[in-house]
Amino acid sequence: MTSPDNNLVQKAARGDVEAFARLVRNHSGLVYRVAMRVLGPQDAQDASQEVWLRVWRNLKRFRGESAFSTWLYKITVNTCLNAHRREQTREAREFGDEFPYLTIPIPPGGEYDPEAAVLTGERRAEIFRALERVRAEHRAALVLRHMEGLSYAEVAQILEVPDGTAKGWVSRGRAALLVALSDGNQDGESPGNMGGAS
Amino acid sequence: MTGVDRWEVLERIGAFAAGELSGEEAREIERFILEDPEGQRLAASYVRMLALLGAIGEETPEVPEAVINHALRRAYVSAFMRQAEEFFGGLGRAYLDAFVYYFGLKRPGTAR
Repeated sequence: MTSPDNNLVQKAARGDVEAFARLVRNHSGLVYRVAMRVLGPQDAQDASQEVWLRVWRNLKRFRGESAFSTWLYKITVNTCLNAHRREQTREAREFGDEFPYLTIPIPPGGEYDPEAAVLTGERRAEIFRALERVRAEHRAALVLRHMEGLSYAEVAQILEVPDGTAKGWVSRGRAALLVALSDGNQDGESPGNMGGAS
Repeated sequence: MTGVDRWEVLERIGAFAAGELSGEEAREIERFILEDPEGQRLAASYVRMLALLGAIGEETPEVPEAVINHALRRAYVSAFMRQAEEFFGGLGRAYLDAFVYYFGLKRPGTAR
């Protein structure tokens, strides 16, 4: 834990609301960002408020064995996963005789070039729609790994699972997201805009 | 190949696209991708998808002020209640001590 966070946490745990306010202002971006990516924009605000309530109630339990941000990630992800506890498993684990047509259309003039996959509002919305179709645990792992840029060890620590399980969840989440994105393109919901020139 | 096998291949192509495979495992998938147009298409789709996820990851969405205000309001109320509880708890204990002393149930200065 960084020293400023350490001091603020200790003060806030003793009931110092000003110290807690500084923690909230310093880290509200992390909480809201993760909630938005795991739950979607509509539920992110409620989840963020719930996270900060839990943080305030549990500050005394924070021992500083990990970084404050890791502890915060853990509470945020747990809060988001609880919101999805009753969610059914949405991933199809089996294919038929052939792969379904899984593809994100290649941008004109930008074949195989990740730089050409420019992020537009529509494309962002499509990603979030597809993420909703990925099982919650796998989605959380995917968000932490590929959006938050965390290592597998950090993902495992936050999700409180072994490293191998974290890797498996990210892997399945990646595959499920690709399937969901391809389904979206095939359904004609937003034809071609995943890779379309912007 | 069964459906489960195909899912595993799909996951391994994803791991390859994310740069997470090494050694013989990476070479095996690389061969598959080079020989199979479907494999090439999947790998390319993964690369684009991961680039998009990375681009979203770079964004810093603005936190609604309501989130911060709500958190602080709850903390202030909670802290006030905590202090009030301590105050009235202390007051109650003082009255109890006075009551005990008044009726001579315990001599002053003895431990509770």
